[in-house]
Order: sequence, then C-alpha cells, then structure tokens
Amino acid sequence: MLQVSNLVKRFGGIVAVNDVSVKIDKGEVVGLIGPNGSGKTTLINLVSGFYKPDSGRIVFEGIDITKKDPDERVKLGIARTFQVPRLISNMTALQNVTYAVVGSRRFKERKMTLSEAAMEALYYLDIVGLLRKRDLLCRDLPLYELRLLELARALATNPKLIMVDEVMAGLNPVEADNVAKLVQRLREEFKLTIVWVEHVLRIIMRSVERVLVMNEGKIIADGTPREVSKDLTVIKAYMGEEVVV
Amino acid sequence: MVIKVEPRRGRLIIHLLGKWRFEWTVEPRYWRNPLIAAALWICLPLLVPLMPRGLPIGPTALLTSLFMANVVAISAMAHALQTIGTGRLNFGPHFFVVVGGYTAALLNKNYGLSPALTFLAAFAVAALVGLALSPLTIISRGIYFTLITMILPLILYELVFWRVDIFGAETGIPGISRLVSTGDVMSDYLICFYVSLAISLAILFVVDKVLRSRLGLMFGVINEDEDVAASFGIEVKKIKVAVFTLTCGVMGISGWLIAHYYGSFAGTMWLEPWLLIFILLSSVLGGKATIYGAALGSYFVVLTRDLLRPFVGEVALLALYVVLLAALYLLPEGLWGIYRKTRYREYVPTIRVRRRA
Repeated sequence: MLQVSNLVKRFGGIVAVNDVSVKIDKGEVVGLIGPNGSGKTTLINLVSGFYKPDSGRIVFEGIDITKKDPDERVKLGIARTFQVPRLISNMTALQNVTYAVVGSRRFKERKMTLSEAAMEALYYLDIVGLLRKRDLLCRDLPLYELRLLELARALATNPKLIMVDEVMAGLNPVEADNVAKLVQRLREEFKLTIVWVEHVLRIIMRSVERVLVMNEGKIIADGTPREVSKDLTVIKAYMGEEVVV
Repeated sequence: MVIKVEPRRGRLIIHLLGKWRFEWTVEPRYWRNPLIAAALWICLPLLVPLMPRGLPIGPTALLTSLFMANVVAISAMAHALQTIGTGRLNFGPHFFVVVGGYTAALLNKNYGLSPALTFLAAFAVAALVGLALSPLTIISRGIYFTLITMILPLILYELVFWRVDIFGAETGIPGISRLVSTGDVMSDYLICFYVSLAISLAILFVVDKVLRSRLGLMFGVINEDEDVAASFGIEVKKIKVAVFTLTCGVMGISGWLIAHYYGSFAGTMWLEPWLLIFILLSSVLGGKATIYGAALGSYFVVLTRDLLRPFVGEVALLALYVVLLAALYLLPEGLWGIYRKTRYREYVPTIRVRRRA
C-alpha cells in the first residue's frame, strides 16, 4: 500500500530522516517507535505532505505522491492526526469534523451539500463518542476529547491509511487504554491501515503486529513486538551503551 | 434543464446544469431583522431631499457622503472577505480601487466606452492585476505580505507622476461620462446613490451566501490554520488565488463608481493613506472580519467625518481619528458585536438530534 524508498530530509546540518525505506501492506497496524528526536514525526510529515523530501520517493497504492500537495494526498486516502492537537479552536466539534468531510474525495464524488456533510460528520462524532459535545467550541474541550476529535476528523476524510501521531501523549492510563481500544475498533470497522507513532510502549507492544524502530533518522529495527523488544540495537538506542544495574 | 430547484426541509438545493449542486439554507425566522435593515437602508435616503434648509450639512453633501459610504463599504466588504479567505491582511486595497478607477477613466475618455462597459472592464482589470499578484498569498505570510501590499500603492503613485501624459498626475483625468445625467441635480445624486447601494447590497448578499456555504467553512479553516486546512483536503492554494483575484476585482468597482460619479479621476488623491485607513477601520470598527460589520463601519466612518466637518472645519480628519480610536477602545468587538452578542450564530446552523427517551 505504502512504499517509501530512500527518503532523506535535512534541516540545515541535521539529517532528520536518513535514507529511510519502508513498505507497509494493506490492513497492517504498524507501530513506529524511537527515542525523542529520532525522526518519527518528520517521517509522518513527509508521508502526509507537510514536508517535501530532499530525495527519495513515496508511492501510495501505485501512485508516486512524492511531489503531491497534502490536500491531494488526503483525497488519495492518507490521513493523519497531530502530536499536539491542531483543531480550529474557534469552531465547534461538529464544524471541525465537517470541514474534513468537505475536503474529502467523497464530498466531490457524491456532490454532497454542506448539510449532508454535517450529517456525515455527526456519524463520525458518534463513533468516537463525542456526539453530545458537537456544539462545544474546541477551545472548551479537554485534551482527551481533543484526541478523540482528531481521530473523528481523520476518519471523516475517508482514509485508507491513517497515521496516528502520539495519540496518548498527556492522557492518563485509563484514557490511553480507551483510545487504544478505539483505534483497534476503527481499524476493524473501517478496514484501515494504521501507522501508529507512540511513546507508550506498554500499549503499542500489545496493539500492533509489526514495529519499526527509528533512531537518528534511520530505521534500526523492523519486526514483531517480541523480536524488536529483544533487539540489542533497540535496547542500546533507548538505554544507551551501558546499563548500570 | 439548466437550473432545477429541489425544496428540502429548511433549505433549497439548486442543481445547475445537472453538474453542480448549491444549497441555500432558508431560515424565515431569521429574515425579519435583515429585511428591516434593508428597508431602512433603501428608504431613509429618500428623505434626504426633503431635509429643511439651513442645516450644517446640505442634502447634496449628505447624499455624496452616503455615496462615499457605499464606495468604502464595497471595498471594505471585499477586503473583509479577502482577509477571511486568504488569511492575509492586505494593506493595499486602495491600490485596486485606483486601478479600477483609472481603467474606467481611460477607457471612457480615450475609447468612449459607456459606464456599463467600463464597469466590466474595471472589474476585469483589477481582477487581472489581483490574479498576477495572487501568488503573494501563497509565498508570503504575515507582516511580509502586509509590507508588500503596502508598497503597491506607492509604486502606482510614482507611476502616475512618471506618466503624466496618461494619468494626468494630480490633475487627473477630467471629462469622464457621468453615471447618470437627467438634468435634475438632486435626481442625479439620488440615482448615483442607489446605483452604489444596489452594488453594495448585491455584494453583501453574495458574500453572505458564500460565507454560509461550504466555501465559508473552508475560508474559516484557511484563516485559522492553513496547514490544517491542507491536511484535511482543502485546496488552500486554489482558494486563496480565487478569493484574492475576485475580491481585488470588487475593489476595482469602487474606483469605477468614483470615476463616473465625479466625472474626473485623480488617482493621487485616492492613493493617499486616508482611504486605506477608512477601509481598514470600517472592517475593524464594524466588527472583525464580519461582512455586515464592514458595511456598518463604512457608514459610521464616512458619516462621522462628514458630519464633523461643519463643526470642526479643517481638523475634521483629526477629530474623526480621535472618535474612531475611542470607538475602537470602547467597542473591542466592533459595532456589529453589539448586535451579534444578542443573536449568536455560527458558520453552520446548529443541528439538533432528537433522541427518544
């Protein structure tokens, strides 16, 4: 479904993503982990079109999307959430999902009107459990609900691939578990392929089938959670060269 | 069938050429106040010729003020829409006004084009100049865009003095056909006012409908966060170019009105900062980025200046700025905010979901 080949992104002298090649198959749930500053979010930004790569190629469902704008990528079926929720704070929860429906490919294909788009947005709000909060302004919502709203907004674009960027950051363990269950449910109901960037290893290790580990802009491990957790390179990246017990 | 109208509960779906669908939310419960406002706006000026003599301001001067208020309102509404749709603050709206004015003046004087044709030409030329400058909305942000647009009137100012043979420098271009010439001065003033009012109302109606449509929702997102807009499928670049181009064209219409109202056009007078300040203040004082506020603010700004003039004379502009500063300080949400506070509405009508107990 998604093939990233030899992707490089530099910021001045720093190579944030260094010759990364990844292949993700349809229906997979892939965890993307790594220490802070390892290039996970930059990789997400490159795939979603936020950043343009210095070199390399991104192919999605056989289409080269390397030079396509973010809005074109959304219409092809790539959606994302943000590490720090980026919602329009002056708009209601309903409006925040409605504009994602309006921007989706389906809106044009079905020649929907704004009211129909708003009705569809209600459906996505209901799925994540925010239907009752539809008329609240985003600036009045707590972080947990903002995270759910981000998921609803991403779903509203009718995605095939969804990239979830640290959706559990700042949540308590109960909320984090709820979000993890929701992501799993969404995957089954919408037949999604998911790339899940996360720091909460406890949850990611039991929720995904495959884990990619990044460090200093490179993929240093690729395998099942069990394989990766025993990989010495990964342990070294997280813990350092020496471990004093 | 070219147009097919499909009534639905609370809205009309308009099918155009079987290809496009437009939705018009019909809300009669909200019609009363806009209808009252429109009726007052249309009817009150009819009383101006009946004003008693001996007042500090005469009927023709007042009609000219009302006409100017409409001219500023047209540009202010276009400017407000431009600010919402591009997320950029244009400091050169008067540049496009003058482009429209010179287009109308030159085509009428040199080629004998009628005001109806120069109207189209003024819109088209200002829009084309806007289109040529529209990449600025994509490549520059914030203060840089503001500074670039601030330079545009200065360039035109120099150009006007450089090519005196074409633009006439401070003298301008005299001998332009009047908008109307019935022989009766008062009727001419009234008709000119109503032409400007009709254009203002048409722009107000169209912009209001646009802002309540899906485009309005998309403009709102672009205005708040372009990156988010692009991340959720909104074609940010296309929308910004289209909005900037069309609103620049609308600003050109203000210039067309000025040229054909006065029968001469001196761009140097309209390129001065006061027109920019009037347009910007109309938007801000009326209510930040609200279309109704822009129209209301224009009337407030222009009428305050002209009504102060008989009392304070030469320092009218200074007195106006003092009044406006006080109003900005006392009304942070603008004039429209006073009304809006009592009737809070959002881009999309609130949808109520009824659930059985």
